[in-house]
Amino acid sequence: MKDFLHNKVVPKIMVFINTKAIRGLKDGLLYSMPMMIIGSIFLLLANFPYTPFSDWLKAAGITPVLNQAFESTFNIMALIASVGIAYTYVKNEGYNGMPAGVISLCTYLLLQPSQVTSQEGASVGVIFKTWTGGQGMIGAIIIGLIVGWIYTVFLKKNITIKMPEGVPEGVTTSFTALVPGAVIIITASIIFAIVKNMFGTTPMEWIYKSIQIPLQGLTDSFGGVIAMGFLIPFFWFFGIHGSTLVGGIMGPILTANTAANQAIIDSGRELTLANGGHIVTQQFLDQFITVTGAGITIGVVIYLTFFAKSTQCKQVGKLGIGPAFFNINEPVLFGTPIVLNPIMAIPFMLMPVLSGIIQYLAIYTGLCPMYKGILVPWTCPPIISGFLIGGWRTALLQVVILALSFFVYLPFIRVIDKMYEKQEHQTQG
Amino acid sequence: MIKVRLFCNQGMSTSLLVSKMRQAAAEEGLEADIMAFPVNDLDENLGGVDCALLGPQVGYLKDKVSKTCESHQVPMDVIPMIDYGMCNGKKVLEFARKIAGK
Repeated sequence: MKDFLHNKVVPKIMVFINTKAIRGLKDGLLYSMPMMIIGSIFLLLANFPYTPFSDWLKAAGITPVLNQAFESTFNIMALIASVGIAYTYVKNEGYNGMPAGVISLCTYLLLQPSQVTSQEGASVGVIFKTWTGGQGMIGAIIIGLIVGWIYTVFLKKNITIKMPEGVPEGVTTSFTALVPGAVIIITASIIFAIVKNMFGTTPMEWIYKSIQIPLQGLTDSFGGVIAMGFLIPFFWFFGIHGSTLVGGIMGPILTANTAANQAIIDSGRELTLANGGHIVTQQFLDQFITVTGAGITIGVVIYLTFFAKSTQCKQVGKLGIGPAFFNINEPVLFGTPIVLNPIMAIPFMLMPVLSGIIQYLAIYTGLCPMYKGILVPWTCPPIISGFLIGGWRTALLQVVILALSFFVYLPFIRVIDKMYEKQEHQTQG
Repeated sequence: MIKVRLFCNQGMSTSLLVSKMRQAAAEEGLEADIMAFPVNDLDENLGGVDCALLGPQVGYLKDKVSKTCESHQVPMDVIPMIDYGMCNGKKVLEFARKIAGK
């Protein structure tokens, strides 16, 4: 079985993971993430749960400053992604990625609405935060990938303006981008003209309506939750970093869901299902599907640390418990091991699915609040993370999940522990 | 003196192993320069390196990484799963020395 998986199944998965597009996408997106988390801190402060404090901030005139910082980080996530994805794609191909990132940025801005009519009736050029934020996410990915791809083709085929030797590198670089840049921008302009004049919209708005909204609906569903909960440990079971893989692909849609929820609040409405709020968001994934590490292995760690009989298990527990608080569980995955261990496969793939279902129902029934724009780093310890993103009810739900993890894993990890104990006994005897 | 670079997804869990490896090196009285980086930054971190080690969770990148390492003439391999999980600094250091031929 193990050989079959390693020789037949894993290579097929690898081919997919190693697709240039998937790699460019998940690595490129990593550039928006830190800014979104930093932005969240400002959002959290501006909407601090303790009213006297938030009132004081408002009175002191600090709130608009906090909002400004939030708007300029969180709400330009797609803008950063469009640069990051094209950059990474080209860099992975072994070329200088920055020119492609810049071309992607311009293309991205070119394809979205850029005019508003002022009160005086004049047409004013603007960059809409709506379109640089959550709503532009899928458009940014598509543009980033296509620009990265076209740029690479030009460089591979050597269709660039060549400079004589001795010209400074910066100058050469700017000329390298000239031909592919011109072709891309001209093509994008033609696309913009066609969509604008024939359909009366912009390509970005069209992508949002016909691709992103359906995708958001797909992830924000019961089936989406089960798929996500299952796939991360499934990849990890083969020793593949499933969290980056699945998170990388789902991430943009999930963060778009998070941003959409915040947009509902910003528009002055209440964040409810009826108002179009999304249940499944980035927080849903980080704080309930991969909390304490892929597979929600805290139950294993607790058992190994406090109840294990075998030396091997005790040792893994000792190593694993510290990192587990910060949602890092490689020691447990590789040390127990859970990876490629058929006994552990069932609870490992079951636990995140269970957690996902419980959380979904809790939010659906209103027992727990929907998530706003506040994001915490994935390394934020559980219970604290739950409190920050959703308040005490979400923190309590995390406690339930952590306890559940112990009982789901218990029968299985016990078998492993006994096996080791027997082995150790034999080698000693 | 041995210069080892470890690469994993974000350089998080690998850094646990790095500190254990440094400890093991100190115990042996071996002068060692050991650091961990995200695998994305592979290219920039291979200068003068004796050997590069890949975390098992990104083992699927082995072919690509080994090509890059070859172009820098740096020997590389994937860290054995159990040694990685157990944070066995001593064993991984031995592993690194074997690959580096030092």
